Amino acid sequence: MADSSAEPTGASSGSVGSDENATQIQPIRMPTTEEIRAQDVWNNCGVRAVTSGVMGGGLGLMMGLFLGALDNPIMHDTMTARQQFVFTAKQMGQRSWNSCKTFAIMGLVFSAAECCIEQRRAKHDTINTAFAGCVTGGSMSARGGPKAACIGCAGFATFSVLIEKFFDRHT
Amino acid sequence: MAAPVPNPIPVGISKEQAFSMAQTEMEYRVELFNKLAQTCFNKCVDKRYKEAELNMGENSCIDRCVSKYWQVNGMVGQLLSAGKPPV
Repeated sequence: MADSSAEPTGASSGSVGSDENATQIQPIRMPTTEEIRAQDVWNNCGVRAVTSGVMGGGLGLMMGLFLGALDNPIMHDTMTARQQFVFTAKQMGQRSWNSCKTFAIMGLVFSAAECCIEQRRAKHDTINTAFAGCVTGGSMSARGGPKAACIGCAGFATFSVLIEKFFDRHT
Repeated sequence: MAAPVPNPIPVGISKEQAFSMAQTEMEYRVELFNKLAQTCFNKCVDKRYKEAELNMGENSCIDRCVSKYWQVNGMVGQLLSAGKPPV
């Protein structure tokens, strides 16, 4: 029952007439065992969280490299070219590693929270995204005290809802 | 499927009777499956189809729906068969 095909009429590929121009209707396929196992693996909250964390880490690495290369002060007077290069490389590495960690944690927490909330509620909504964003923002700003946590919660929830609406605008 | 059998076939029954019992049982199973699929689909899946795959909320909902349906079906079957006079 992994496919949502409870419609009363099954579609067959020998449909009448006008489908030559439109998309060809495919016959209903039951999912294979591999597809079901793959879906089961992807529905696991831990797998989703780790994957999001890794992707977030990669994104943070790229961003940190890029931004770290941009705003480093180049001191022509005090260091030779080779020393400048080494210094810049170290700064870039440090900056990108920090950014990588931040984004990885952000992705991990957001994905884990959204997955858990959606599995508990058994519904697919934007409320899941909002709550997960709130948890992420709150946990990341929790060091600044309760007020900072509230602001972080609200801000990140709004941000994640906007991003979700932006990515789903065609449906 | 570990479903409770409503009535076990007693000894000394003819082939035709066994066949018709099997046919009734099969019809019952098919009806059960169709009703189950329809009920849980209407309950759990949002009618505005945004993607072909079932997302996680729908999967959870369907798991719970099927589990409840099956359990209630078993309980009702047991109650009905317990209330029957002995064959």
